[in-house]
Amino acid sequence: MNTLVNVGRYHLVDRITWLALPWGIMAFSFLINIGVALAVPTVPQGIYTGGLVSLYIFMLICGSLSMTRSLPFGLMMGISRRTYYAGTALLVLTLGVVYGLGLTLLQLIERATNGWGLNLHYFRIPWILNGPWYETWLTSFVLLVAFVLYGMWYGLVFRRWSVPGLVAFIAAQILVALLAVVAVSATGSWSGVGHFFTTVTALAVTGVLALVALAMGFGGLTTLRQVTI
Amino acid sequence: MTPTISATALGRRYRDQVALDDVSLTVEPGTVTGLLGRNGAGKTTLMRIITGQEFPSSGDLRVFGETPAENDEVLARMVFVREEQSYPDFQVRHAIRVASWFYPNWDEDLAQQLLKDFELPPRRRIKRLSRGMRSAVGIVIGLAARADLTLFDEPYAGLDAVARQLFYDRLLAEFAEHPRTILLSTHLIDEVADLLEHVVMLDHGRVVLDAPADEVRGTGMIVNGPYTAVEEFVAGRTVWHRQRLGSRASVTIADPLDLAAQAQARALHLSLEPLSLQQLLVHAAGVSADEKVSA
Repeated sequence: MNTLVNVGRYHLVDRITWLALPWGIMAFSFLINIGVALAVPTVPQGIYTGGLVSLYIFMLICGSLSMTRSLPFGLMMGISRRTYYAGTALLVLTLGVVYGLGLTLLQLIERATNGWGLNLHYFRIPWILNGPWYETWLTSFVLLVAFVLYGMWYGLVFRRWSVPGLVAFIAAQILVALLAVVAVSATGSWSGVGHFFTTVTALAVTGVLALVALAMGFGGLTTLRQVTI
Repeated sequence: MTPTISATALGRRYRDQVALDDVSLTVEPGTVTGLLGRNGAGKTTLMRIITGQEFPSSGDLRVFGETPAENDEVLARMVFVREEQSYPDFQVRHAIRVASWFYPNWDEDLAQQLLKDFELPPRRRIKRLSRGMRSAVGIVIGLAARADLTLFDEPYAGLDAVARQLFYDRLLAEFAEHPRTILLSTHLIDEVADLLEHVVMLDHGRVVLDAPADEVRGTGMIVNGPYTAVEEFVAGRTVWHRQRLGSRASVTIADPLDLAAQAQARALHLSLEPLSLQQLLVHAAGVSADEKVSA
């Protein structure tokens, strides 16, 4: 357990990457959105933006760096791959809880101030991040963890098979998506898919995302076990 | 006592090359072993397998009696300082601090002393350091970790002679004070010759020599003198190298010489000159791979 915590502390030595940059970039994107909201005439239905995705994307980058740049020194210090992955995952879960709480608080403020007085929907994303605080916290947590684990998997594929591996990895994902589309078309179930997405609750989506995150973790760990340095 | 490292018929193949071929060796606890050999001989591959960073294709490897790969208890007792170790983008003091968390026997005073000795600026980013200074960071960690098994793989790339001497002195002092098992791979054989108790030499992935350093040192001899006298003396002995210059000859022989042989050499007015470890290993590398040098 102690070693797991130390792996997390090892990553956090680089506070700029793990703490300052994700929030800094999101704050920057938020300020730009505030500026835009101030500049454009007020619209009754409010202003919607996808700026929040900047935080998630940067956390994905953190994940991939943890498995590329930081891995060799970690293994130099006599940590097994399994422990290194588990320690990193523990850090990710912890950050997911804390960062998720931060996003929830910001959403509460946004709601209470009617979109920062500008009817801006930055921390309220329709459908997925727009429910009660506990749902937002849970969904943000699961989303953050899924993004970082996804990034870690990318980093590991790169470490193991470099650029050709990355290309194959992305191609495989596109192929899976394509097969899904073909399967839906072939069985004529597009209306069923539409029905699913219009009726599904945010909580159910969160559950599906949690399964996706688990799959990412499993894939990443399986890849790491083949990585040599 | 369980050997610290015990390899049996260890092999590692890559698609187009054999990095290790049928490597069997034993490293006893509390010894300093030199892992010698030319570039590409398989030294780094062997050390990577020992530390679980690479996996063998065949054979068996035990460290402290257990398989090291993914074995936290075994891995935690090792530190592996590599040539050109890559670090995350942080400062020297961060690398030292992080390493201290993972080694139960970490000696912080020693680490700070070594930082001063090597004149490493603690707040400098590691990627801004010169090559030699980056090597010094690895050496500081490797020594201060006080791990039961310490592996140095060409640890002094880019280090100047003064810093290298400092490393040898510190290594010896540390070893005397806190005995541990040390495996050191190097090209600079003569520099480390006095440190080594045991010598393992790899060539093209095979072990061509595995012997106590003292025995190895007594092995090779260069015989100089008049051609006919030299030829008479070396007849029946294993000859590694012959050189003739006019009426004089210089012949390198592999066998150790007993007192009678030495007296005979004196009677023939021949001069005998022992081979340095480095010269010896150059010869050992020259013999065909399946002809093991017995010490």
